[in-house]
Amino acid sequence: MSRVAVCAASLTALVFLLLPIVAIFAHTSPAHLVHQLSNPVVRDAFIVSLKTSLLAQLLIVLFGTPTAYVLATRRFPGHAVAVTLVELPLVLPPAVAGIGLLAAFGRVGLLGSSLHALGVTLPFTQSAVTIAVAYVASPLFVRQAIAAFEATDPNLAAAARTLGAGPVRTFFRVVLPLARGGLIAGLALSFARGLGEFGATIMFAGSLEHVTQTLPLAIYAEFDQNFSATLAMSGVLVLISAVLLLALRIGLTWQRSTSTTSPSLFGLSASS
Amino acid sequence: MIRLLAAVHLTVFAAASLTNVFPLINRAATYSFGGSNMLAAQIEQGAPADVFASANTKLPAQLHAKGLCDTPVVFTRNALVIVVPRKNPAHIRTVGDLARRGIKVDVAAAGVPVGDYTTKVLRTLHLLAAVSKNIVSRETDVRGVLTKVALGEADAGFVYATDARTVSAKVRVIQLPARAEPTIKYAACVVTSSHHHAAAQAFLTALLAAPAQRKLRAAGFLAAP
Repeated sequence: MSRVAVCAASLTALVFLLLPIVAIFAHTSPAHLVHQLSNPVVRDAFIVSLKTSLLAQLLIVLFGTPTAYVLATRRFPGHAVAVTLVELPLVLPPAVAGIGLLAAFGRVGLLGSSLHALGVTLPFTQSAVTIAVAYVASPLFVRQAIAAFEATDPNLAAAARTLGAGPVRTFFRVVLPLARGGLIAGLALSFARGLGEFGATIMFAGSLEHVTQTLPLAIYAEFDQNFSATLAMSGVLVLISAVLLLALRIGLTWQRSTSTTSPSLFGLSASS
Repeated sequence: MIRLLAAVHLTVFAAASLTNVFPLINRAATYSFGGSNMLAAQIEQGAPADVFASANTKLPAQLHAKGLCDTPVVFTRNALVIVVPRKNPAHIRTVGDLARRGIKVDVAAAGVPVGDYTTKVLRTLHLLAAVSKNIVSRETDVRGVLTKVALGEADAGFVYATDARTVSAKVRVIQLPARAEPTIKYAACVVTSSHHHAAAQAFLTALLAAPAQRKLRAAGFLAAP
């Protein structure tokens, strides 16, 4: 009896999650989807999305990795506050993130007014899109990276140190390879989230074809004009996200079966 | 059955520029404000609206032609203006100034009524090409434009006169030359698929009656012709 209920509930949940995805592809034939990709609006939005997302992920890795490492390995006063701060954009409504970014980096913003005086104006530029994506997507990488670093065996790093490796060398030769799986997983999630960014982008960067109009913004803009183009763009985003998540699953299973002592994986599977 | 238990609850899809005034006219309805074009597209996709109030006559006419709404009625008019931040950092005094290099102009997207009115005005004034170069964003509705200007991020934007009044402390209004002023008529219609036809019709009738018209006028809208 209860098994039937559990099965029915899971089946309902799966159908519920699957139906919108099926509907997107049911409306468009694959040929039409490919055809729409040559639509200049779709193509421009795809390029803007890809460019800003890649740049944002680069910034996230460059700044997020050391931050995650410090938060994973050091305990200091305010540690909990720092972790909360790093995770906050994950739960903030994107509109709030957008307002915050405008208030901080806008032309009359807290820091933005000084930047403006120096001749740098961020709103309505691709840099603004990149910043919005980085702000909203970074927690997915940093959280995963913290878990991955926490799961690395500190004895291995200590052993490397006693064998004469400096802290930098130990980090790059021992800690980083151990945490690699978790870092890549975090990057994939953060990339997928960043591609979907909408609210903060439209508020902070605006929406202009070829400049700041990313795929999600183009979907919204084209909704009433060209419904099939929005379906095609939605299809592209679904495919990218699905491929990323699937690759992640397969990569995880593969790593789990080939290595028996990769503790970072447990950190990942526990939190993903 | 349910209608016996509770009063009819109307869902009204209305142009973003009606955001402040509609709740004053009818407090009981549930509103969805947005770009009229987005709302029309939602109705075409089967969204459960009872009344559609658009910032133009074109979209209700299109829905009517498709059999998705009853005959539209014009219930008010509006005017298009330029707004600049109160401090006017780009020193804009006329519409011609918008063509100056480096001015950040915010407009609504094509298809959004206010975006189409903007294009029309600029075309009449032979400024379309020059000003288009300065457009930094195409917003999804008129309030998007208003916000960016009120925050001081854009140097100028095209909005309705009624929108400018809602943030009069933050923006300055620049009138358009009379010869370029577009005719802006708002039309509303009862959505055909509505389950509350009588109540929706009553909403429209009330909209045309004196009390509602007084409130529209007080908000800066113009009398329906």
